[in-house]
Order: sequence, then structure tokens, then C-alpha cells
Amino acid sequence: MATESSEGEEETKLMGGNPQLVVDGDLREMAKNAAWSVSSCKPGNGVSALRDDNYETYWQSDGAQPHLVNIQFQKKVKLQLVALYVDFNLDESYTPSKISIRAGDGFHNLKEIKTVELVKPTGWVYISLSGNDPREAFVNTFMLQIGVLSNHLNGRDTHVRQIKVYGPQPNPIPLQPFQFTSTEFITYSILR
Amino acid sequence: MEGVLIECVQNSLRHLLYRNAIFICERLCSEFPSETNLQLLAACYLQSNQAYSAYHILKGTQMPQSRYLFAISCYQMDLLNEAEMALCPSNEPMAEVPNGAAGHYLLGLIYRYTDRLKSAAQQFNQALSLDPLLWAAYEELCRLGTAGEATTVFGESASECIQKQYMSHHDAGPQLQASSDDHIAVSGRQQMPENVSTRQLRHLNANNIKDNSLNHNGAVFSGSTTASQPSNGVHSNISFYNTPSPMATQLSGVAPPPLCRNVIPNGQLSSSVSADVSPRSTVKSTLQPPRRKFVDEGKLRKISGRLFSDSGPRRSTRLAGEGGPVTNTSGVPVTAGNGTNHSSKNHTSSKLGSAASRSVTVRKGQSLSTETVNEGQFCFFVVNHIICFLTRLNHNLGFSVVDDSRLNTVSTTSGSFPSLDTRSCEHDGSMSRASTSVSKVANGALEVLSLLKILGEGYRLSCLYRCKDALDVFLQLPLKHYNTSWVLSQVGKAHFELVDYIESERAFRGARLASPYSLEGMDIYSTVLYHLKEDMKLSYLAQELISTDRLAPQSWCAMGNCYSMQKDHETALKNFQRAVQLNSRFTYAHTLCGHEYVALEDYENGIKSYQNALQIDARHYNAWYGLAMIYLRQEKYEFSEHHFRKALNINPCSSVIMSYLGTSLHALKRNEEALAVMEKAIIADKKNPLPMYQKANILVSLEDFDGALAVLEELKEYAPRESSVYALMGKIYKRRLMYDKAMLHFGLALDLKPSATDVATIKAAMEKLHVPDELEDSI
Repeated sequence: MATESSEGEEETKLMGGNPQLVVDGDLREMAKNAAWSVSSCKPGNGVSALRDDNYETYWQSDGAQPHLVNIQFQKKVKLQLVALYVDFNLDESYTPSKISIRAGDGFHNLKEIKTVELVKPTGWVYISLSGNDPREAFVNTFMLQIGVLSNHLNGRDTHVRQIKVYGPQPNPIPLQPFQFTSTEFITYSILR
Repeated sequence: MEGVLIECVQNSLRHLLYRNAIFICERLCSEFPSETNLQLLAACYLQSNQAYSAYHILKGTQMPQSRYLFAISCYQMDLLNEAEMALCPSNEPMAEVPNGAAGHYLLGLIYRYTDRLKSAAQQFNQALSLDPLLWAAYEELCRLGTAGEATTVFGESASECIQKQYMSHHDAGPQLQASSDDHIAVSGRQQMPENVSTRQLRHLNANNIKDNSLNHNGAVFSGSTTASQPSNGVHSNISFYNTPSPMATQLSGVAPPPLCRNVIPNGQLSSSVSADVSPRSTVKSTLQPPRRKFVDEGKLRKISGRLFSDSGPRRSTRLAGEGGPVTNTSGVPVTAGNGTNHSSKNHTSSKLGSAASRSVTVRKGQSLSTETVNEGQFCFFVVNHIICFLTRLNHNLGFSVVDDSRLNTVSTTSGSFPSLDTRSCEHDGSMSRASTSVSKVANGALEVLSLLKILGEGYRLSCLYRCKDALDVFLQLPLKHYNTSWVLSQVGKAHFELVDYIESERAFRGARLASPYSLEGMDIYSTVLYHLKEDMKLSYLAQELISTDRLAPQSWCAMGNCYSMQKDHETALKNFQRAVQLNSRFTYAHTLCGHEYVALEDYENGIKSYQNALQIDARHYNAWYGLAMIYLRQEKYEFSEHHFRKALNINPCSSVIMSYLGTSLHALKRNEEALAVMEKAIIADKKNPLPMYQKANILVSLEDFDGALAVLEELKEYAPRESSVYALMGKIYKRRLMYDKAMLHFGLALDLKPSATDVATIKAAMEKLHVPDELEDSI
């Protein structure tokens, strides 16, 4: 996956795509208990296709652009990575091209945090939500919105096959300021 | 015809040919319907794991032995209410529990699983008083946390009790001198009233011997009830011997005449009969340190035990052996001592013993009733048969007998069984034997009890989580007992509770070496390996356990731990749920399910699982701990404090629980109490760095930075490569405005590769650090 960052712009171009989903071990899928919704969909290709771990099924939008996928969490969560499975070879003009990621407390105060442009993607595409600053490694938010602003070949509707959202692993031991790294601490930190 | 059929059935049972036994027995029951035959059929069914069949045929029967068998089948089918009704019918509140100590034990188990813990403890205590060698009852008492000290339970009174039983039987009836190993030499301790025909006696004795030998699992030694009133015992014997008819009535379950008031019908019968033999067997058995492998704890023990009231001595030796020797759930038990024939017979399986004993019990009744028909031949036939069987067993199996002298005698006598037979007939009146055997009994009883004392005390202490004391007690065992799977598992468990995983692993490894087929305690072993992060060993253990027994919950617990270690919590959960399905009374499986639910953040189901575990065993402190941790995560601090305290009540030495209790107190802003608890935790276990770290945390929140720094400096010695220590120190230095020290420590913390979140936090702190730097002079 090649990324080019243009200076002064917030856009990055992403090409290619992994057929396999590969994420770091210290990341955890965060959106299992989130509420997913879409701006529009064709009957039979609804929002559940985005979460069924099946590359054959896809969400197809059915309305005006931008097409939106909204993910609302029950509490503020730290998010680090968004992964999309899209395939130009299968979807051609339905493949998303420009994607904008917004975050906020709700529909009323979403702010764009990232924009990427996909160029003929064929598999998993990773969009990191971290800023350049090490302090901004995570986005702390109640809601995430993934907007498809335009498609390849100027298609109207879009197909997205899977979406996964990742954040850091929580501290296994509650009420600790820092996580433990050494074996002595870890051994004594839990009873089984 | 009836006699032939019965003989055939018992023969098949002895040879473990259950299908044959069931078929023939069914013919017997249809030809000669009687309750004793039904009991025999039920015994066959129970032996071949068809409790439901036994349940149906025994439904509504009233004879004590039938009630007992019915209760066992209900228990196995999980119909605890009916089992309880059978054992103590509500319309006869004063009825005796059938089969004495065994019946009380079974009743105690029923009470325990229906949550009536006080009554359960009462029943177990009663069982122990009736038969001080009923180890299973003592074990249950330990698990309930209400066991008396082993020295008193297995102490003087117990030894007197055993001796009295043997004495009374010695005096009461013909003493069957089991010759060195198996052989039934009818001893002539004839102080019996003369109107008992010797043949009858011998017949009885032969039966008894057979019973004794066959019964190794230790039936209830209901003879103990007679022990306290030896005269009654004698009476019962007398009545038994004198009049076949009362015996028949006894067999039919009619309440025994006042003479035998304390004789438990049927069970008592067998016990009194067997009691004769028991001293013999006891003598032999107790002279050898019992060393028997325990085949299959709960079920077999119960079945065999209950059915055979006479197994007092046998049981004692077997149980004593149980304590020491390896407990394997699936292996062939090696019966060491137990001197008598029992050992040889017992070796194949406890089932054999119980089956045989059961068959013998019933057969006894039968034979007695038919004795008038063809007494003489039958008697000798029986004796011959027994001797043949025993010698055959002895030769074929050739398991190790602990006592070499026994072995020698066995071999010598085995060749000469016809002579043995005659010899047995000639033995009447060897009084000298009586006196020596009395002292032998005393010695034997003392030896058994001394062994049980150590084992019992060790087990009791480890159930009370006084682990260091328990370890000291176990070290008092002789080496040959110590190096057995049961003891080593207990040692491993004690180390595990002390959070000393390395020692624990060593002990469990020894246990695996001692008996690789044993599953007892292997779930704890898998948790130890999980803690030590030994994935290779853990997966190897899990694979081995599954291949040993796919249907044991411990194997699936080990498998689940394996997956959990690889963070595959969903598969781990599935495995633990399988373990629960296999045995819903296996507490630890429920707790492990709870842990996995928590790892998957499914707190509701986690709480449910922990509560299930606590329903089964309210003293399972891991479940209390699990609940408390859930509440801690959900920020319900009062709940978590309450549950941590409960866990601490059960296991007062655990520094981990103490440190978490301190954490929850800190969250409730009760900081002085929190600090006090932390101090206790630090003292309790010097090797646990967590309480110190938590203490530092609390001190920071109290703004006692110097104190916190002092603690953390000390902590650096214990755990030099723990990044959170440096991170916290950096934070403190930053608060104290000592920026260069703060930077140094943050840098150290980052070097130690903390998690991604922490990296972000630390880096953010470092950035913010610089901002004031520009405004102020760094210190």
C-alpha cells in the first residue's frame, strides 16, 4: 500500500490494497457494539453487509452523494485505524474514490479529520486516524462518519464490502494509569 | 435354579461381563421375583452405567438396601429430591438411613448440592463418626470449610471405634482369617454361640470373605454402629446365625426385631456378616501401608461403598491408600496393601470390587435362604469358587503387593487351595490367633489413622487456604506417599494459591510423571502454565489430556486456557462451555467461562457465569474475585469492595486480592483504609510488586509525592524493567516540577516498550513538559 502525502493538503492517495486483513496485535476492533447506519441503501444490500465478514456481500447506496456510513459508540472511544475492503476489479464504477472521515459527538458537530483518495483499490485499504503529533495518536470520539464523496469513473452509487474500525487495546487491569509490561507485574496482576 | 442363576450373575459381574449379567439377572427376576433379586439387577445396571434402568426397577421399594440403590441411581440421574426421599422418607422421620455411613455420605452430598450446607456438614460428620475411615466424607467437610482437625477426627476415638468394631466382630462371629493374601482361611475364633452350625458359619464366612475381598472400595462400615454396642452386634449376629428366617426377614427389609435395633437392616446384615471377616481383612490390610490407586472418585466410590456395608476395613485401607496414592480417574488401580484377598481382587477396578461385593451381599442373602436346601455343597462350592477366583487373579494379574510377606504367603497358599479349603474348615478354635489379631488390629488401625491424619490435615489446611501450613504437613508424609499424583497435585495447588507458579509447576510435573493418566488437578496445572506463559507446555498438556479422556471437564479447561493464552477468547469460551456441559458441577469451568466473558467485555454473561460457580461452591474465591473485578471495571466500587472482602474472607493470605481491595477502597476515596490494606498486602507476599505500586498511586493522589517516590525507588529494585514504574515516577517528578528527572524517567519508560496508549500518554506528557520549560528555569 503506497501512500503519498502532499504537503499542505490533508489528502493522501492510497493505491492497491491487501487481500488479507493485517493489523497490529495491539489494536482491537472497536465497533462491535456500535450502532451502524447508512444514508441510503438498495434493498438486499444494506448496512449489515458491511459487518458480516463476507467479501461477497456489499453495501450499495441508493441516493445522492455523499454517501455516509455512521458509526455511533455508547461512550467516547479512542480510535486509531479504519480499514475498508473495496475492489475496483469487481465494482468498477461503484468503487469509492474520495473518502472523508469525520468525527464528533453527534450529527450536529462532526468535523472532518481525514480525507483520502483511493486509486483503483483491490482489497483492504487502511486509513490511519492518527495525527502527526505523537500526542494525537488516537481520535477520542463518540461518533465516526465515513463519507464517500465520489466514485471511480464518476459512478453515482457506491459499493463497500467491509468496514472495520480499530482502537488500542484497553488496559486489562482497571483503574491503572499505565499498562504493565514486565512479567512480575503481569503475573501478580490477575487471578485466574 | 435360583441359586445357579445368582451364581452366574455374580460370576459375570466379577468378570465385568455386564451384558451377560444383566441378561441372566433379568431371567432371574422374572423367574423368582423378589426384592433381593431386584437389588441384584439394579446392581448390574448401576455397574454398567444404566442408572435409569435401576431407577425404574427400584422405584417404590422399601428395603433399606433397595432404597440405598435407588438413591444412588437418582443421584446419578440428578434427581436429588427423589434420592433424598429414598434415603430419609418424610413419613418416617425416625427411620435409619440405610447403609449407615455410606447412606449418610450420600445424603450429605444431596444436601450439599441442594444448598443445605449445614445439614450436609451434619451428615458428613455423622458418616465419619460411624466410619472414621470414610475419607470422602472428610474431604467434603474440608471443601465446605467446616472440617474438624484431622488429629481429632482420625484420632483416638476413631482408632477406638475401629478397634471396637473389629473386636465385636471378633467376639461375635467366626473370624475369617484371610490368609496372607487372599485366601480365605476360616479362622476359628469361635466364640459364637454353639447353636450356629459351623457349616452355616463357614458358609457365612465364606461369603463374607468373598464380600470382603471383593469389596475394596469400602462400603459403609455399618458395623461401626454395632461397635458402639457390641452386644447388639453380637445379638444381631446371633440372631442372624441362629435363625435363617429372621435373616430372611431382614433381607426383605422388615424392620429388624428389637434385638437388632441398631442394626441397619440389610446393610447391617452384610456388615455384621462381613464384620466377621473385616477384622481379618483389616488385620491384613492395616499391617501393610495401604497403597491403592483410586480409580474413579465420586461414582465408584459411592456405588461400591454404599452397597457394601462391610467394607469398613477394606474401605479404610483403600481410602487410606486413596489419600496417599495416586488418584487417577482412569487408570488401573494398583492395590498395594490391603493385605487380604481384597487387594488382589480389587486391583482390576473398583467396579469389580463393588460389583462383586454387591453381588456377594445379595448372594449371601440368597445363599443363606437356600442354605437349607443344599447347604453343604453350596458352602464348599462357594469357598472353592472364591479361592479359585482369587488364586487365578493373583496369578494372572500379579500386581505389586506392598507387603512382601503377604506375597509370599499368597504364592504359597495359592498352589494349595484344596488344602486351604480343608484348612479353613479345620481352623475352628484357634484362640491364639484371636489375641494376636486384636493387637494387630490396634496397630493396623493406628497406622492407617496416622496416615489419614497427615493427609486429612494437609487437605483441610489447603482448603482453608493456609497453604504454607498445608505444605509443611504434606512434607511429613513418607516419601512413597508424597511422590504420588494426589499428594503432588495438592502440593501444586498449594503453591498455586501462594502465587508461586514455578514451584507449583514443578509439583504438577511430578504428579504427571507419577501417573500420566490422572486428570485430577490438571485444570489448575493448565492455569499455572497459562500464568507462566508456557504455550508449548500448555498445548502439549491439553492435547495429552484430551487424548486421555475427551469427556473430562479438566481436558477442556486445559484446552480453553491454551486458546485464551493466544488471546482467542471466543474459542476459549467455547471450550470452557464444553467443560461445563460435561460436568455442570465442575466449579472451575464456570469461573473460567466468566473470565473469558470478561475478556470479551460481555459483563452480563460474565456475572452469570461467576454466580453459577458460586452456586455450586460458595467457597470458590476465584469467582468472588471475578465478580469484584467486573464491578471494578463498571465502576461500582462498593460492590467490588464487598466482593473483594468476601474473597479475602475465604482466602486471607492472597496478596493479589488485598491489593485490589485497596484499589477499590482508594476509588471510594477511603484512602487510609486503602493504605492499611496495601501495607498488609506488601507484608503478606514480598514478591508481589503490585501492592507497592498501588500504594505509590494512592500516595500520589494524596499528594504525598516524597512517600510515593520512596516507594517507587524501592520498587525499581524489585522490577527494574517495568515501564509503568518509570512512567509514574516521571509523572511525579513533573508534578514536583523536577523536569530533567521527569524527562529522564519518561525516556526510560519509553525505552521499556510500553503499550501504544501509554506511548501516546508518555509522549504527550513529555511534550507538555517542554512548554513550561521555556517559561521557567528547569530545576
